[in-house]
Parts: sequence; structure tokens; C-alpha cells
Amino acid sequence: MVESLQQLLTGFGIAATITNLLYCLLGAVAGTLVGILPGLGPIAGIALLIPVTFGLNPTSAIIMLCGIYYGAMYGGSTTSILLNVPGETASVITCIDGYQMARKGRAGPALAICAIGSFTAGTLGLFGMVLLAPPLAQAALAFGPPEYFSLMVCGFIVLSNVTGGSLIKSLMMAVLGLIIGTVGLDPVTGEYRFTFDTTYLLSGIEFVAVAIGLFGIAEVLANVDQPLEKLEQSVIVPRFRDLYPSLQDLKASIGAILRGAGIGFGVGLIPGPAPVIATYASYMVEKRISEHPEAFGEGAIEGVAGPESANNAACQSAFIPLFVLGIPFAPPTAILLGALMIHGVVPGPMMITEHPDVFWGVIASMYIGNFILLLLNLPFIPFFASILRIPKKVLLPLVMLFCLTGMYTVNNSINDIWLMLLMGGLGYLMRKRAFDAAPLLLALVIGPKMEVAFRQSLMLSHGNFGVFFERPVSLTFLLATFLFLGLPAFRFMIRRLGAGARNEGGSG
Amino acid sequence: MKRDEIIEGVVLFLCGAGTVALSLQMPIGTFRMAGSGLFPLCLGIALMLLALLYLANLLFQKDAEPPSPKAAAASPGAAGQMMLFFGASALAVLCLNILGYPLTSFLLMLALLWILGIRQPVLLVSLPLLTAAGSYLLFVQFLRIPLPKGLIGL
Repeated sequence: MVESLQQLLTGFGIAATITNLLYCLLGAVAGTLVGILPGLGPIAGIALLIPVTFGLNPTSAIIMLCGIYYGAMYGGSTTSILLNVPGETASVITCIDGYQMARKGRAGPALAICAIGSFTAGTLGLFGMVLLAPPLAQAALAFGPPEYFSLMVCGFIVLSNVTGGSLIKSLMMAVLGLIIGTVGLDPVTGEYRFTFDTTYLLSGIEFVAVAIGLFGIAEVLANVDQPLEKLEQSVIVPRFRDLYPSLQDLKASIGAILRGAGIGFGVGLIPGPAPVIATYASYMVEKRISEHPEAFGEGAIEGVAGPESANNAACQSAFIPLFVLGIPFAPPTAILLGALMIHGVVPGPMMITEHPDVFWGVIASMYIGNFILLLLNLPFIPFFASILRIPKKVLLPLVMLFCLTGMYTVNNSINDIWLMLLMGGLGYLMRKRAFDAAPLLLALVIGPKMEVAFRQSLMLSHGNFGVFFERPVSLTFLLATFLFLGLPAFRFMIRRLGAGARNEGGSG
Repeated sequence: MKRDEIIEGVVLFLCGAGTVALSLQMPIGTFRMAGSGLFPLCLGIALMLLALLYLANLLFQKDAEPPSPKAAAASPGAAGQMMLFFGASALAVLCLNILGYPLTSFLLMLALLWILGIRQPVLLVSLPLLTAAGSYLLFVQFLRIPLPKGLIGL
């Protein structure tokens, strides 16, 4: 541990040079701007800016790319709160309460809590990385396909409980998302499925198109589907004193931030879409322990503070499997792996000894980057919140244009825009009929990984489904799943019995 | 209202049934060595079962109160406005490769602002012009992302 702390100090020495601080700042600014643009999330942002780093030394290059990563994550939260457009999957949950806060004129506190929560989680995550990384990475290694599968099933059930709507409707959306996720190449046998002889579907359904469609376009359409007078009335103009969180907001958020950081850090070590699961788990925990669970979904600040902290902590701890094992478990870290290799750094067990400057320099730069983001974003909150001052009659066409343009830039494909518009129409109808889009979107991302885990588990067990119940970790996740599934059914039965007893009492 | 919910349930049931039918055309394999059709087949069956559960649940629900005539008749023009907005966006996508990005974005903004009731000539021209130029500079000049050039070649 002492050795790790010494190495970390050396890392701070490397990251705090003028050149590296400049690249960290550049990355954080570029990332925030990229994250704010609908359609351009951290994946597209890193991919687009990799060529810019070609002339830099490996440490500066990776520091800048990491800056883009967490800057874009923060930028994604900004659009989630202000426009209900999640920049990336992990920001989906922020939309629920963040956007409701913005609608009530509290966009400023929501944005500030995002920055404060992210910084706090980043600070705690840094110490967590130094102190706990080796044993926790070891524990994560013990996960096999059955554990992954059970974890993902558990994640879906948790997710379906999140928004408090109909459980059956959410589950149907999750299954529909899983079905959509099977389009394209079979991840195990390499055969094509549901492509209907079109080349566009060979690589599967573009996630970004579905995300912008279901959330961004659907939101725009739902807003346009209002009388013109109402469009003028619904402009939110936050007062200056409402731009920053009150002491009460901070008091309400501190517990959520600390819990979110813990959950995020733990989940980040587990292979899979960690930030996504972490944000949902954090939201669920906050809702469960809250004295006012009914406020969630209506603009509860804990619903923003917890998931945003969890998101940041998970992003940070997700670097452990990338650096120590050389295995990326999420698309942004996969792109970062590519960038590392371009710069001649091969992540893996030898990275710490062969490239200590890169390893510890990047870890230290994450902390500096978070601090820069805090400094950068808190003063700019009035600027970001002022986006809401633009009349909706002007803002909605602008958002539509940027969604169309942003979508095109991902793959330079017109078909992606058509898919996005189709999903926008579907999302609008789903909204009208009270179907939640989040389970569908998450299922689309997790689906292929879930299928691989399912099939590998059955291959390992020679077709025996007992494999999911025989392994303790997998069994724990499945028991948690049954618990989550059973709770609404149990509540429903209690309500029915109570109603029955009242009726009998009334008639008697 | 219940009729709409029944339609939803039936549509989702048919989605599940369609998935099952298409999956059965792929190799299913065994649980030990699953083929590419097994997972979608399971998902299709799961969706059908959930849709049936949803429909069955509707049978036990009390009929919701019919919406008030005032609510039912609310904003007849808004749906048309939304359709126009969506249609204009789709038309812009159709024209993107022919007209090119700068011209299409200008015309799209103009149309969308018009649909949302903006009639001031200065705003109606300057805003689309600024947006088209700004987004062109940001994406094409600054981020170096190629956008359709179309007939004007920009």
C-alpha cells in the first residue's frame, strides 16, 4: 500500500507538469463540448480525437484521451438534465430526475450536484484504486459466464423496477430490446440473424440511433405535440439564486454521493457495462432508502447525485480491468485500449512495471481532470442553464437539427438517421402509452453480452441449467432477482387482500 | 382506453410470435451447443408470455373512466403540427444527399420554425442562416467530419 501511494505521488509529479495539465484541460474541455452535442458521446469523441494525439508522447496522449472520456461523460449528463437527451447510456438514469428538476427551474442545482458528486466520487475512487485495486481485481477475475448472466438478469429486474411504472410493461420493453439486440452477427457462431438480406443490418442495430431516437427525438415530438401557446408558456427561466444548490440540497445529496461512489467503484470492477449498472443500482438504492420515494421521478436531487457519483466512480474503477488485465469491458475503454496500443503501450499485468509513468500518470491525471471539470463546470452553470431561456419554438428545431447532424456524424450514414427517426416515432408512441424506453435501450446494449454469457454457461455445463444455481455468486444474483421480482407481486397481493378485507367489512 | 391497451398487448404478442417464427428458420441446436436461433427463440417466447400476462391482467382490471370530452378534444391542431414537424425532418433526410448539408439544414430550420409559428422575417431567415453556417463550421471545418456536399458542393 505504501508503495502504491509512493507511485501515486510520482504519478502526480508526471500529471502535474505544465504540458500534461494543458492536455488534461484540453481533453476535459473538448470532452465536455462533445458530450453536450447530442449524438456525439464519449465513444465518438475519443474516436474522433485519437488522430489529434498522434504527435504526443504516450502519457500526454492518454491523459488527453481520458480527459475527453470523463469530460464527455459530464457533458452527457448536461444534455440529460437540460434536454432529456442522454449523451451516453450511463446518463439515461440522470434524465429521470435531472430533467424533471430542469422543468421545475432547478437545472442549476442539478448540474452543480453532478459536478460536485462526480468530483467527490472521483476523489474517493482514486484512493479506492490505490488501496483496493489488487484484491478487487482478483475478485472480479473469479466471475465466469454464469455469474455474468445472472448479474445481467438481476440488472434487468432492478432496472424494470426503477421508474416505478408497470413492471410487466418494463419487462416487455427489456425483452423487446434484447430481441432488437440479436439483429446482426451472431456473437458465437458468426451467422447473420434478422438482417432480411440488407447490408445495413449486418453490423446490428446502431445503439446511438436508438438512444437519440427513443429519448431525444421522442422528447422533441412530445413537446411539439402541444398547442403553440403552451410552447411559449413552458419556457423555463431559472432565477440566478436558483442556479446553485442550496445548503438543503447539499445536505440531501451528500449521503447519496457517498453511497453512489461506493456502489460505482464496486460495480466498475465487474466486467460489463459498469457505469450503466452502477447508475441504476445507485438510483434503486436511493429510492429504496428514501423517506420520500414518491419524489423520485418528479425531480429528487438524490436521484441525480447518487447515479452521477456512481457513474464517475464506475468509469474510474473500470480502468482497473483495462490496465491490469488488458481487457476493456465497455466501448469507451475499448477505444482507449486501441489508443494505448497505437502509442506502443500494451495494457496487462506488465504495464505497471514496464510503463509506470503512463499507469500512475494517467491515474493521477484522472483526479486532476475531475478537479479541472469541477472548476470548469461550476462557473459555467449559468451559461448551460441559459440554454433553457431559449424559447421552445426556437430550441426544438435546433435540437432536431443537431440530433440529425450528430447522428449522421457517427457513421456518415443516412440509414442511421432513418433508424433514429423511426425510433423517435416509436419512442413518442411509447411515451403516449406509458411504456418506459430505458429498459429497451439498456437491453439493447447488454443483450449481446448476455447472450454470449448464457450460451457459454450452457456449453460449460453441457446444457445443464443448474450451473446458474450451483455457483454461489451466480446464486446470490439470482436470489436478488427473485427478491426484486417477488416484492411487487407481494405488495400487489397485500393490497388485494387489504382491499378484499375492506370490501367484506363494508358489505358486512 | 382498455381497447388501446388490448391492442398494445396484441401487438407485442405478435412481435414475440414473429420473433419465434423467424428464429425457427435458424439453426436452434441444443442447450449444450446452442444454435444462432435459440436465444431469440427464448426471447420471442418470453415476450409472448409477458404479453399474455399483460392481457390477462387487463381482464382483472376495472374499466378506467372514459376521458372527459374536453380532454379528448384537446389541441386537435397539435397532432397535425407534430406530424408536419416530423414530416419536414424526414423530407430533409431525403434531400440531404441531393441538396447538401448547408442548404438542407437552412431549409429544415426555416420549415421547422415556420411550423412552430415563427413569422418574423428577420428571425425566420437569420436563425436558419446562423445555424446552418455554425453547424457547418463546427462539424466540417473544426471537427473535420465530412457531411453531404450535394449539388452546391460545400
